[in-house]
Amino acid sequence: MTPLLEIKNLKTRFYTQDGVVRAVNDVSYTMDSGEILGVVGESGCGKSVHALSMMQLIPDPPGKITNGEVWLDGQDLLTLSEEQMQKVRGRDIAMIFQDPMTSLNPVYTVGYQIVEALLLHNDMTKSEAKDRAGELLELVGIPGAKDRLDDYPHQFSGGMRQRAMIAMGLSCEPKLLIADEPTTALDVTIQAQIIDLVKKLQDELSMSIMWITHDLGVVAELAHNINVMYAGSIIETGKIRNIYKDTKHPYTIGLLGSLPRLDDAPGTELVSIPGLPPDLLALPEGCPFAARCEYRIEQCLVETPPLEEIDGKDHAVACWRWEEIAGIGSK
Amino acid sequence: MTRYIIRRIISVIPTLIGVTFVIFMFQRLIPGDPAIAMLGEHATDESIERIREQLGLNRPLFLDRDALADGDMNAFFDSQYINYMGRLSRLDLGDSIHRRIPVLETLKLRFPATVELSLLSIIIAVMIGVPVGILSASRRNSLIDSVSMVASLVGVSMPIFWLGLMEIMLFAVILKWLPAGARLSTGFEIEGITNLYLIDSLITGNWAGFKDSLSHIIMPAVALATIPMGIIARMTRSSMLDVLQEDYIRTARAKGLGGRLVLYRHALKNAALPVVTIIGLQAGTLLAGAVLTETIFSWPGIGRWVYDAILGRDYPIVQGGTLLIALIFVGVNLIVDILYAMLDPRIRYK
Amino acid sequence: MAQINPEEFTVTDFAVREHRSLWGDAWRRLISSNTARLGMFIVVLFVFSATFSHYFWEYEPKKDLDYSLKLKAPNLVVTEEIPSIHPFGTDKLGRDIFRRVVHGGWNSLRVGIVAVGISLFFGGIIGLLTGFYETFTMTTIERIVLFGITGLLFGMLSSWIANQIIQLVMFTILGLAAGIFVEFLPSKMQRALFFGVFGMAVSGIPALFVGPTVALICGILGLMSGLMLSLALDGRFFSNVMMRIMDMILSFPGYLLAIAIVAFLGPGLGKGMIAIGVVGIPVYARLTRSAVLSVVNKEYILAAQSVGESHGRIIFRHITPNILSPIIVQTTMGLANAILSAAALGFLGLGAIPPEPEWGAMLGDSYRYLTSGAWWAVLYPGLAIMLSVLGFNLLGDGLRDALDPKLRT
Repeated sequence: MTPLLEIKNLKTRFYTQDGVVRAVNDVSYTMDSGEILGVVGESGCGKSVHALSMMQLIPDPPGKITNGEVWLDGQDLLTLSEEQMQKVRGRDIAMIFQDPMTSLNPVYTVGYQIVEALLLHNDMTKSEAKDRAGELLELVGIPGAKDRLDDYPHQFSGGMRQRAMIAMGLSCEPKLLIADEPTTALDVTIQAQIIDLVKKLQDELSMSIMWITHDLGVVAELAHNINVMYAGSIIETGKIRNIYKDTKHPYTIGLLGSLPRLDDAPGTELVSIPGLPPDLLALPEGCPFAARCEYRIEQCLVETPPLEEIDGKDHAVACWRWEEIAGIGSK
Repeated sequence: MTRYIIRRIISVIPTLIGVTFVIFMFQRLIPGDPAIAMLGEHATDESIERIREQLGLNRPLFLDRDALADGDMNAFFDSQYINYMGRLSRLDLGDSIHRRIPVLETLKLRFPATVELSLLSIIIAVMIGVPVGILSASRRNSLIDSVSMVASLVGVSMPIFWLGLMEIMLFAVILKWLPAGARLSTGFEIEGITNLYLIDSLITGNWAGFKDSLSHIIMPAVALATIPMGIIARMTRSSMLDVLQEDYIRTARAKGLGGRLVLYRHALKNAALPVVTIIGLQAGTLLAGAVLTETIFSWPGIGRWVYDAILGRDYPIVQGGTLLIALIFVGVNLIVDILYAMLDPRIRYK
Repeated sequence: MAQINPEEFTVTDFAVREHRSLWGDAWRRLISSNTARLGMFIVVLFVFSATFSHYFWEYEPKKDLDYSLKLKAPNLVVTEEIPSIHPFGTDKLGRDIFRRVVHGGWNSLRVGIVAVGISLFFGGIIGLLTGFYETFTMTTIERIVLFGITGLLFGMLSSWIANQIIQLVMFTILGLAAGIFVEFLPSKMQRALFFGVFGMAVSGIPALFVGPTVALICGILGLMSGLMLSLALDGRFFSNVMMRIMDMILSFPGYLLAIAIVAFLGPGLGKGMIAIGVVGIPVYARLTRSAVLSVVNKEYILAAQSVGESHGRIIFRHITPNILSPIIVQTTMGLANAILSAAALGFLGLGAIPPEPEWGAMLGDSYRYLTSGAWWAVLYPGLAIMLSVLGFNLLGDGLRDALDPKLRT
């Protein structure tokens, strides 16, 4: 089965006054139809930037996609003109963002903004679009949906705003929904609700979802596969079971190890990874994680390790020493 | 929404009362006696006293304390300030000391001249300033951007009176295309309905009159428009730039909206808010009369009128004129606030 | 699992960027902008020529007069008719315009500095205090001072009516007392009663000596004043009142106010400076206040408070340095404005007294002669005004971009 999305060697740079920021470095992976992919990493690792790059939403200047191919449905998105890209956005790929308060235009009603998306990509009349918008709001679980169409974003609570954004994203039935940290700005309880909602929707609509987050806990409930990113590259990828039960990359190990667990003995210290992520203006040679890695050897500082398959597509890792590292699973 | 409007109007009242007080105080404090200004230095003391009594200038300013000591309550309250407030409440602005014409009459004649000039200037300023600002913002750091920003700075730095003089020099003296002053050339008559000559001449079909009044108004209007134009252009640009950074613009693009729609539909409405405020403030400033432009172009508006009155110690004109000007200012600010609430739904729901 | 010992270099080697201070950063950005550089150049040229000419190039305006050279066009070479060089021509009294323009710069510079100084000083303090007390509660001493001043003001009213000093004194004391003994009587009613009656007595009884009706009026006034004093006035009230006063000043267009002040004070460059300065006070007050309000909610202020820092220290060490940016920008643009306003006043004949060289006044003198062709007398002084104002505006603009916190990396 041909994958829905195939990314090859994506590189994105930002040319700033202070130098060149290498935000995305040679990222390649595929996604299947109906798959939920979690893209995990800390702030600045390039997870959001690579998604924006896919949609050609990187501000140019100062950003530039210097290399790569993004194949969606037989088209390389990066070769499309702006006009052609506008047809793709919202219809084939939809994206929802982190902060729903600032992501919705405060001077237009929520209904207007959803209707706008519908009218843009579909041949409908205004009243048809309005009805559809109401249905969408109901679908995402907003009570009294029809009436709330005429409300402004500031009249919604945080969780409901995010639901409205999801409704807007789903409105044109995209093949791929990219969710960029959708729950980071929300309370934990609301977070759980949104995750449940997304699971339900994915079930009903069998959409592909890319869920970008820094929170490993969130993604564990949701994703089929995971890409772990660090300093602009994917350093470990695979089925969720493999990542959590047979972790190979020292960074991922560190990441999982730093999570507090219910079954930890009281008094157990939280393990943190020493040091700070590298400055993307001055990425060192070799493995980006080398400076903080307790397993590093000479080779790590000189040559960048490629993603090597451990178990076909189901598990791959970018580390010179992965064979020596016994996978850390759950205790 | 209506509650918000009512609240705003109410909050203006104490300011207005304060304003009337300040106006009253101010020109009373200006040294110089209007009676002497009227009669000349060599008038006799008796005639001065007589005039002063006529004008009510011999009553104490606020309260007659001596009368109070005598127990005369009526005379206690018979003071300049109280009489003034009383007359104000009856919309009686008094008569000009020097010309003996009711202030209200002259006001009705001169105010439309100022209104016409200000309106035209603001329209010019907005019609050029806003598009330039939007264009600059959408093509940030390009040549167009730099040129128009420097041009608007130059506009803001330009002394109006000098620009007006340069205009006269070029168009009236050297090229002889346009007349150098006044509202209408001699011999032209325009029926006064609104007293805004441009509009009146159009309504009555007086084409020649329209052309003539246009030729008179165009230079002062352009001169007056330069500063607001520059300010509006810069404000529009910076407001648009701020808005274009916002997340909802990214959302709009992610939905598939094209550049133009994003700019005009999503960005502009949000960017408009501070720009509207600035436009309102500029309109208010202009309406308050431009003494300098009126002087150079011999334009019969209220700016020059009030200015002459201040120097001539003609109290009723100063009071009436300044009151009008202050009222306009406060009124325009009020309108701007209300407009703001209409544009930004977040404000009216507070 | 093979454990490798970490190598010689430390883990944090890669992460730290070069330290840069806020001002250094801003300066770099300022220098790199073309328009800002142009502005700086003009300003430096202006300041330099103004000061240099004032101290080193002699000019006595009262002695400058030569009717034979009246209204001559600019000439760069000496001819029989015109024995001297006049690059900018001469004016209606035969004076060399170039020399007057250069010397006029000194006057403009002075006006700018003094006027903006006045606005900044008074407006800044008002803005600082209002912004501060709007959020912070006053200490006892501050409150006592506030009440004392309020009492003084009320006292002035009664004193004036009864023509007696004693009310003034008593009310000030009453005010101070109200400030000191805020917890004096717990219930609001009791306080109101106490101060009201006290006020009535203090004000009315001495006035009995003047006359019964006076006493009555004073008594009523005293009652009202006392009632007001009994309210727990606080910083927010004071700030409200202050800003209302600022609003009132702002409801007059600047030019009108300036003209009125000059009419009141009389002509002269110094009075003009004061007028322009006073007109600008509310602008700076508003600006400072909003800057203070935006800073006051930040965590470092909370931190300073929780450590027990005094109000004065907080204001000077924490708040002031952080509100400097918008104030610097406003001051620069304010200088530009002041020069423009001074020229406007000069043009109208208010401000500089002839024959002092002042650009606006020079324009005012010469514009009558425009129609007879003496364009030089109008062009050059006006050009001087425009260029100097432009210079400050360019600089101010560059400063705003350079100091913009959003652009900081």
